[in-house]
Amino acid sequence: MQDSKAISGSTSTDGLWSEYRHWLIGAVVLVISILIWKAQGGETVFPESWISAFPFADKVNEFDRWMRPFLQPTTRALGAGVTWFYEYIVDLLIFTQWQIVLVVLVLPAFAYGGLRLGLFAVAAVGSWLVLDMWDEAMETLSLMCISIAFSAVVGIALGIGASQSNRLETVIKPILDTMQTLPAYIYLIPAFFLFGIGAPGAILATVIYALPPIVRLTNLGIRQVPAGIDEAATSFGATTRQSLIKVKIPLAIPAIKLGINQTVMMALALVVLATFIGAPGLGDIVLRGMQRLNVGKALEGGLAIVLMAILLDRVTHAMGQEQQRTDQGRTQIFRLFPQSLESLRLIRYLELGIDFVWRQIGRVGRGATHAVALIPCALIRTYDTDWSSRLRDFLLRHSFFIASLVLIWVMVLLDAYLDIFGNFPKAWEYRFRTPVNQYMDVLVTNETFYAITTGIKKGLYFGLINPLNIFLKGLPWWYTSLFFVAIAYLVSGRALAAITLIGFLFIGATDLWAFSMITLSTVTVSVLICFIVGVPLGVLAAYSKTADGILKPILDTMQTMPVFVYLVPVIMLFGGGQIPAVIATVIYAIPPLIRCTTLGIRELPDEIDEVSDSFGASVFQTLMKVKIPMAIPAIMIGVNQGIMMALAMEVITPLIGGKGLGLEVFTGMSTASIGMSLQAGIGIVLLAIILDRISQAWTKTQREAMGLS
Amino acid sequence: MKFTFKAVLAAAIMSVGLGAGSTVQAGKRLVLPDLDWTGAVVTCRTIQWVLENHMDYKVKNVSMPGGPGVWEAIRAGDIDFYCEAWPSYNPIKSEYVKEYGGDGSLVRIADTGIIGASGYFTPRYVIEGDSSRGIEAVAPNLKTVQDLNQYKHHFKSLESGDRGNLIACPEVAWLCEDQERMDGLGVDFHAQNMGSETAHWAEMQAKYKRGEPFIAYAWTPHWIFAALDLVEVELPAYDEAKWPATNWPQDICFKFGSPASIEKHPEVVALLEKHRLTNAQQAGMIYEVDVNKRDVDEVVAEWMEANESVWRTWLP
Repeated sequence: MQDSKAISGSTSTDGLWSEYRHWLIGAVVLVISILIWKAQGGETVFPESWISAFPFADKVNEFDRWMRPFLQPTTRALGAGVTWFYEYIVDLLIFTQWQIVLVVLVLPAFAYGGLRLGLFAVAAVGSWLVLDMWDEAMETLSLMCISIAFSAVVGIALGIGASQSNRLETVIKPILDTMQTLPAYIYLIPAFFLFGIGAPGAILATVIYALPPIVRLTNLGIRQVPAGIDEAATSFGATTRQSLIKVKIPLAIPAIKLGINQTVMMALALVVLATFIGAPGLGDIVLRGMQRLNVGKALEGGLAIVLMAILLDRVTHAMGQEQQRTDQGRTQIFRLFPQSLESLRLIRYLELGIDFVWRQIGRVGRGATHAVALIPCALIRTYDTDWSSRLRDFLLRHSFFIASLVLIWVMVLLDAYLDIFGNFPKAWEYRFRTPVNQYMDVLVTNETFYAITTGIKKGLYFGLINPLNIFLKGLPWWYTSLFFVAIAYLVSGRALAAITLIGFLFIGATDLWAFSMITLSTVTVSVLICFIVGVPLGVLAAYSKTADGILKPILDTMQTMPVFVYLVPVIMLFGGGQIPAVIATVIYAIPPLIRCTTLGIRELPDEIDEVSDSFGASVFQTLMKVKIPMAIPAIMIGVNQGIMMALAMEVITPLIGGKGLGLEVFTGMSTASIGMSLQAGIGIVLLAIILDRISQAWTKTQREAMGLS
Repeated sequence: MKFTFKAVLAAAIMSVGLGAGSTVQAGKRLVLPDLDWTGAVVTCRTIQWVLENHMDYKVKNVSMPGGPGVWEAIRAGDIDFYCEAWPSYNPIKSEYVKEYGGDGSLVRIADTGIIGASGYFTPRYVIEGDSSRGIEAVAPNLKTVQDLNQYKHHFKSLESGDRGNLIACPEVAWLCEDQERMDGLGVDFHAQNMGSETAHWAEMQAKYKRGEPFIAYAWTPHWIFAALDLVEVELPAYDEAKWPATNWPQDICFKFGSPASIEKHPEVVALLEKHRLTNAQQAGMIYEVDVNKRDVDEVVAEWMEANESVWRTWLP
C-alpha cells in the first residue's frame, strides 16, 4: 500500500486529503463543539416557551380520559375473549397430569429432531419440573402458542396478499421495515393502555411484534416460485387462484416454515418481556428475583427461559427441514457427546446403551402400529385389497406418529380410570437459589471482588459515561440537533434530514432533552465498548479455528436468549445502577459486531493475501492495512445492529437502575400516565429510526465507494 | 402440509382426552397484585392463603409497582382487590374513592390494621459518632432536615455532584415527591431513586457497614430499625396546604376494590372486612422474607399455621 502511494506521488496531497478527510472533518467538528460547549453558559436547554406550547403528554392524557368510557368496554370485551382462550389452554396444560404433558411436549422433538434433540427436550421440560416452575413454564408456553397461531394466520394471509398485489407490497414494505427497527418493548405500551395488565395485552402485542418475518418470508417464498412453473400450471388450464393454492403456496412452504421459526424466537422474547405489563409466566420469576435481588431465583428463571428458547428454536428449525429424522432407519451409531470424548469407555457404553433402548422403543412403536393397522386393514380387505395394502403402507410409514398417539391415549386412559400417576415428587425438586445466594453474599462482601467491580464501575463512569454525559448535556440543543441534521443530509439526503429535524424538535418540545441525551450517551458508550471488544474478537475468530469454535456456540446461545436474561449475571456481579446498565447493554449488543467482523474478513477474496504477501507485508500488516479497511462495510452493518440492540436494551435496563428515556416509559406506565409513556416511547422510536437510517446510509456509501454492490 | 395435519390432530386428541381436567369453579378466580414492597406482599398473601386453603379460590398474582397504575388497573377490572393502600402516598384516592371525595369508581372496604409512618433517617454515628468503630460525628447538630444544608459536603455521591445525596424513595411510582420536598424546604440535596426496594435497603446496609454518612427515606413497620441504629431527621409537622414540603401524615392503611369485584365476590369482601394484621405481625414476616431471603409463600404459610387463632377470626 505504502509503495503504491509513493508511485502515484503527483497526487499525494489529494490522496492525503481524501484519505484523512473524515478525520479532519471530525476533528474540526469536535473543536467547534468544545468551543461552543465552553462558551455556552446555562443556555443549553430547549426554550421553555416551545415546551409549554407543545403539551403533548397532557393532551394525550386528556384524550385518553375522554376516550376511555367508549374505548375501554370494547377493548376489555376483546381482552376477555383472549383471556378465556388463554385460560382454557393453561388449565389444560396445568391440570393435566404432568407425565402426559411432558410426553406430548417431548414427542415432536423426537419426531423431527431425532434422538439427540428428543433427549434435550426431556432435559429441558424436566428442568421446569425439577425447578418447580411447571406452572409458569406452561403459562409462557400457552401465551406463545396462542400468539404464534394468531401471528401465523394473519401473517400468512398478509404475505399471500402482498405476493399477489404489487401495490399492497409497496404499502406493507416500509411498515415492516419500521416495525423491525422498533425495540420490542415499544409494542407493549399501547397494549398496556388499551388492554390493561395480564395475558390479553401480552398476546396482542406479541402477535403484532412477531408478524414481520412471517409476512416477508411468505411473500418472498411465493414470489420466488419460478415463472415457468406458474406458466406450466396455467397452460394446463389452472386459474390464477388454483395455481396459487395448488402450486405456489405448497412450493413456498419451506420459506413460510423459516418465517415461523423466526417468529417463534421473537414471540418468546416478547412474551417473557411482557411480564412488565403483568403477563404471567417464567419472565415473572426473573423479574421478581431481580427486584428482590434474589439472584439465585432470577438465575433459575433465566435458565428455564434459556432452555425453552433453545428447545423451541431447534424444534421449529428441525420441522422446517424437508425430511424427518426419527433416526429409526439410520445405520450409524448414535452420538450424544462430541466425538473427542469417544475414547472414554464409559461414554461409549452409555451411548450404545441409549441407542439400544431407542431401537427397542422403535421396535415396540412399529409393533404397536402393526397392531393398530391390523383391524381397519382387515376390514377394508374384505372390500378392496389394493386399498387395504395402501392404507397399511401409509400407517406404517407414519409409525412414529401412530405409536405416539397410542402412547398418549394409553396414558390418558390410565390416568382417567386407574389414577396411577401422582404429582411430581417433592424429593426430585431441586432449587439452587439458596447456595447461589449464599455464594453471592460471600462474593459481594469480599473486599477484592468489591474493589474490582467498583474499579470497573468507577472507571467506566468517570472515564466514559460521565464526561460524555456532561458534554452532551452541555451542548446547546440547537447545536446537537443541527449536527445530526447535517450528518443526515450528507449521508442520505433531504428526506432523512427532515425526519431528523422533526425528531429532535419533538424530543425537545416534550421536555425530554436531558433524558434523551442520557440515552444517547449510554448507547454511544455501549456501542463504543462493543466495537473495542468485538472487532478484535471477530478478527481472532476469522483467523483462528479454535477461537471460532469457542465463540460460535456462545454467540449462538446469546442470540437465542431473550433480552431479559442478560440482566441477571450483570446484577449478580455489579449490582444495580447506570453503569451496570451499560455493561448489560454491551453484553447484549456485542454478538452482531463479532459476527459481522468475522464474516467481513472471511468473505474477502484469497488473492488479497497473495498480493500483499508478494509486496512483502506481514500478516499483521495485511490485516491492519488491507483487510480491516476492506471489511469496514461489513463491520458497519454490525455497528448498525449494535446500535439498534443498545436502544432496545435502553427500555429494559431501568429494571436494574438504567436512566434515560426508558425510565420515563416505565414511570409513565406505573403512574397511569399514557402521555408520559407515549412521548418517551416515541422519543426512543425517533432516535432508533434516525440512528438506523444514518448508519445504514453511511454503510451504503462506504460499500459503493469500495465498489461493492 | 403433513405437519399441519398432525398438529391439528394432536391438538384435537389432547383437548378431547384432557378436557375434563379443569377443576376451578367459575367465579372463583381472583387477581391480586404483588406490589413492590415486601410489607404489601405479605399482607396480601395472608388473605390469599385463606382464600386458597379454606375458600377454594384460585388466585393469580400480578407484579406491579404500587401507585396510580394499580389503582387504574383495579378500576378497569384487571385486578380485583388492593390489600394495603397508604393514603398519604396516593393523591389519586381523591379522584376515585368516595370517602376521599372521589367519583366512587373504587370503594374502600376496611382498614388493613397496619399503621404506617414515613420519614428520613440517618445512622446514629453521623450525629454522635461511634468511638468503638472509630467513626467521628460528622454532623453533630443535625436535628431537622433544614440542618442538612450545612453538612451537605459529607453526603455527596457520584450522582449528586456538589449537592448532598438523599437515598430517596426507591420507586418513582410511589409518588414520594422527595425532590420536591427537598426543593420546597430549600435543602440542596439530590433525591436518588435506587429503582427497587431491595436495592434501597442494600444500599443503606452497605453504607452503614462502611460507616459512611447517609440520609435515607424509610418507613415503619420495618425491620431496618432493628438491623441498623437509625435516628429520625425531623421534617416540619404535616400540613396539607404545604405538601409536599412537610412530613407525611400517619397512614391508616386500608383495603379497597372496584364496585364490580365487590358485587361479584361477597365472600371475599366479608373476609377483607374482618381481616386485620398488626404492625408487629407484619414486621416479623417481612424480616423472614427480606433478611433470611425465604420464599414469601413459605413464610406466610408457616405463620398462618402457627397463628390459627388469628386467622380463624377473619373467616366470614
